[in-house]
Amino acid sequence: MTSLLARVPLKQWLLRRDAYIYYIFLLVLAMFGVVLHDTAFLSLDNLLNIVRQTTPVTVMAVALCFALAVGHIDLSIGAVVAVSALVAALLLQQGSIALAVAAALSVGVVVGLINGFLTEKLQVSSLLITLGTMSVLAGLARQLTGMESVPVVDNDFIFWFGGGDLFGVPVLLLWTLLVALAGYLLLNKLRFGRHLLAVGGNPAAARAMGIGIQRLRLQALMISALGAALAGLLYAGRLQGARYTLGEADLLTVIAAVAIGGTSLFGGRVCIIGAVLGSWLMGMINNGLILSGFSTNEQMIARGVILILAVAIGVREARHG
Amino acid sequence: MKIYGLTEVSLLLGYLLRRSALAAVLCCGGLMSAAAVAATASQEPLADAVPASAIQLSVSQVQQLQQQSLTAALVWHGASPWISAVTAGATAEFNRLGVKVVAVTDAQFDPARQVADIENVTVLKPDFVLSLVVDPASAKAAYQQLVNTGSQLVLLSNPIQGFVLGQDYAGIVTDDMFGMGRQAADVLAQSFATASQDKPLQVGMIYHDADYFITNNRDQAFRQQLAKYPQLQLSASKGFVREQETADIAAALILQQPQLQVIYVSWDAAAEGVVEALRAAGRKDIKVITHDLGVNNLLDLAKGGNMLATVADQPYLIGQTMARVAALRELGVSTPAFTLVPFNTVTQQNIAAGWQQAFQSPLPALLHQLLAHDGVQP
Repeated sequence: MTSLLARVPLKQWLLRRDAYIYYIFLLVLAMFGVVLHDTAFLSLDNLLNIVRQTTPVTVMAVALCFALAVGHIDLSIGAVVAVSALVAALLLQQGSIALAVAAALSVGVVVGLINGFLTEKLQVSSLLITLGTMSVLAGLARQLTGMESVPVVDNDFIFWFGGGDLFGVPVLLLWTLLVALAGYLLLNKLRFGRHLLAVGGNPAAARAMGIGIQRLRLQALMISALGAALAGLLYAGRLQGARYTLGEADLLTVIAAVAIGGTSLFGGRVCIIGAVLGSWLMGMINNGLILSGFSTNEQMIARGVILILAVAIGVREARHG
Repeated sequence: MKIYGLTEVSLLLGYLLRRSALAAVLCCGGLMSAAAVAATASQEPLADAVPASAIQLSVSQVQQLQQQSLTAALVWHGASPWISAVTAGATAEFNRLGVKVVAVTDAQFDPARQVADIENVTVLKPDFVLSLVVDPASAKAAYQQLVNTGSQLVLLSNPIQGFVLGQDYAGIVTDDMFGMGRQAADVLAQSFATASQDKPLQVGMIYHDADYFITNNRDQAFRQQLAKYPQLQLSASKGFVREQETADIAAALILQQPQLQVIYVSWDAAAEGVVEALRAAGRKDIKVITHDLGVNNLLDLAKGGNMLATVADQPYLIGQTMARVAALRELGVSTPAFTLVPFNTVTQQNIAAGWQQAFQSPLPALLHQLLAHDGVQP
């Protein structure tokens, strides 16, 4: 961010078209801060609560940005979360954190590879392929433990992937920052990222430039699934257990987070920081509405209204930017 | 730029809508709550349970509570008419006791979301928390943190392994899931008195094939009780995961086993699909028995359609009782580990009364009109 500011005049940066997510984020934060001034909404504990709660979604959102960058979508991420978390929880019972983490992340790599290979080889939309792998993985997750929860009792794992604090900073916040930084650098600072965006924005031109489109698309889907696998580990650590339903409800939240954050669902435009803020925004809305004492029906209505307003402001800003 | 075709976009939208609707769709009769804990039908944990009628507050206890500014939060697993009735019962009782309900949450059957809900509610430091746990294993740490802040926790049906009564939670209020399952089998035995060992009643079963504490126990209790009647024969059994699947399953079941006379379905909303399939196949002769109350099936029951009966619990009373247990514990009164809320068998003869007992709310207009027209009820 600092380097950006150094190169771009502040006023110009503040008015750029994808900056609206920052304003929406601050606006919603301020709105809840005022309305809920008599609760602990703005307390550090509560804000860290939101970050902790949203970490798996944030990681998935950042990873999904890669698939979206090349014009793909990955519907299998929720199911990858469940399988990865279950694999980790089962292997942790054998006592090896390294093995559990490696195996869980491998789930992501393999699923991404399959998604990418099938999409590119069969020339079928990633939407349909990942819809299929999602179903396969959901069935596998149910099969793996007979639908029973698997507890995680390894304190080291729980520390590093769940409830630990490092120098007073929650480990989950560090994971968020680490993944966001890695995503930002990969997409914005490396040739790999520029190529991904070129493939998503204009495949014909990218091909003419000699970019290996198929390989890049496959790698993008692998990163997407790898992120979901990491989210599975973070869920297993945070919840101290794994269950076949983990991640099931996250897909919609992840897509909303990246879309609000300024990433195009049709490829070519990605905003990693926007995805992180979008994810936090979703968590903040959820948290704020609960603290406000609304009934669950009212919460759903209010959540929808806030989301529509956020998207409407975003679209308006993008048009006028 | 890759633009998805209309078909693909509509598929995606359809998928997403289905996903988001899943939680709502699964709701009915409070059936859902995941847990893989302790109880099985063979080790029934409710033998020592106290009836809900025994949980009462004296006038002086009510006055004592009213003088304090207490707050409560309701942390639910999902949202449905059933859980709304639990909320209504709890809220009414808390209002009577001068307790303010400051938050109500709906985890949409997502364990991670429920953990987030618990953490969010903890910030409010409520004096009472009533909750139905989606996954006791993953939510335990968050509940422990909540309890450590001084909240009295009352659970609905699902226990949390390792939690100590009186220290970590004030009690568990539950419907009699085992009794409800058994009652469904008993109703069949009574309703088909002419069935015999030589010519047994052909029963089909469409059960909930997922890890959910209440439905699993209810289904299992039905299965075990059915086995005790030689004149009732379980001829076919198929599982379902989502309610939308039951129509297809029922259609296949009656094709494969046309001799079926009765189908048991795990809960009301899932039974709607079965009734729909039977109607489509013109099989008015096959009867359906299920759990919980829903308007559509009650209309069918009132009209003498496929529905035979439904065994329903009393969600309003569950909410009321949970609030009372929490309040008693706050006053230092020791509360039972399990409090049992009774169930009713609702047939064509007692629809209005059954509804009133379960929901403590007026009968839905359509049902009221139909029953009034028939001149039987209300």
